[in-house]
Amino acid sequence: MKLFYAPGACSIGIHVLLEEIGKPYEAEFLNLREGAQFKPEFTSINAKSKVPTLVRDDGSVLTEYPAIAYYLAATNPEAKLLPADPAMAARALELTDFAVATMHMQGFARMFRPANFAPSEADHEAVKARGREIYEKGLAVMDRALEGQDYLCGEFSMADSALFYVCFWWAARLGHALPANVAAHYDRMKARPAVARTMAAEGLA
Amino acid sequence: MKLLYSPGACSLGIHVILEEIGQPFAAERFSTRDGGTYTPEFIAMNPKSKVPTLVRDDGSVLTEFQTIAFWLAKSNPGAKLIPTDLEGEARVLEMLDYICGTIHPQGFTRQFRAVNFARDAEDEPRVVAQGKALAEKYLALLAQSWKGSDWLLPSGFSVADCALFFVERWCLRAGITPPARIAAHYEAMMARPAVARALAAEAA
Repeated sequence: MKLFYAPGACSIGIHVLLEEIGKPYEAEFLNLREGAQFKPEFTSINAKSKVPTLVRDDGSVLTEYPAIAYYLAATNPEAKLLPADPAMAARALELTDFAVATMHMQGFARMFRPANFAPSEADHEAVKARGREIYEKGLAVMDRALEGQDYLCGEFSMADSALFYVCFWWAARLGHALPANVAAHYDRMKARPAVARTMAAEGLA
Repeated sequence: MKLLYSPGACSLGIHVILEEIGQPFAAERFSTRDGGTYTPEFIAMNPKSKVPTLVRDDGSVLTEFQTIAFWLAKSNPGAKLIPTDLEGEARVLEMLDYICGTIHPQGFTRQFRAVNFARDAEDEPRVVAQGKALAEKYLALLAQSWKGSDWLLPSGFSVADCALFFVERWCLRAGITPPARIAAHYEAMMARPAVARALAAEAA
């Protein structure tokens, strides 16, 4: 099993899940800043030019954060990354999808890459502001979901890895404050040995 | 079971899935164009103000297209909308995520809501053109990596086809000519009775 990652990118959440599972795996640094994701060596593996990309032991490739997280959870039941109760498992998937497809891809994508959304530079501040609005609304949803519990589905699950990376970007990269329940969750995540190992491995500790 | 939808929105894909399953369900219209998803009635059910939203028989609410599609497919195994093996499930999820997480919001949202992305009317055509170029790139990639025959995945018809269907409808709206492989898929979808029923219900 090999994970292609870029330090601090959303792949960090999958990196955490692999550390939580605790079985041997490889992690290969893909230098997004130098455009390694667009080189034939990588596009032949994932034509979408994205991390996380997971190459499995039979050589087959799996992409998309929620799909990789679900696959890892389902193939490693002892790691308890997906609640056993089907209703709660659906909830874990729902929260993962929301963190990835809305908070990251709608919120942060506008903040980090406004030019991808608006060709005119004069629009960029407005695009960034809209991204921030989408992301902060997402934080409020997550804060309510964490009310009265340590993790999004009660016990730790794959959904927590997704919330962790979007909080890492907000708190560590941008230096913004998190709402109370989400801030406590973020601290709880950082205290997990698997998260600490991941941060060290990606050179972020 | 009740689906909250907006006519022609991505919720159309879930509408098709419910018709494919064939069990009784209710469908309630909240037009995004009229701000229906921002009414107190809607927010009480889904504070994210998004369709599709599914209210289940026990009153609990499920959101996010991929999750609703996956849950409906898994809880109605008789409809055969998802493979029973884990590998097949993961491939369906991967497709749902690409269609709903990338093709829809990155490619199409800005074409239909250019005003949210442009500072003035003069700028809007540039925003639309950029969205169109992205949508065409994503669709070309999907067609190139097509591994199924009539349907998107080699495992056969699945909820991923229903997700692709709403994107195909949007191609018509946006004036995008999809690659031949995807145009043929659209024709195959349009021939399904469940699709005809969902379209008729949303047009009514």
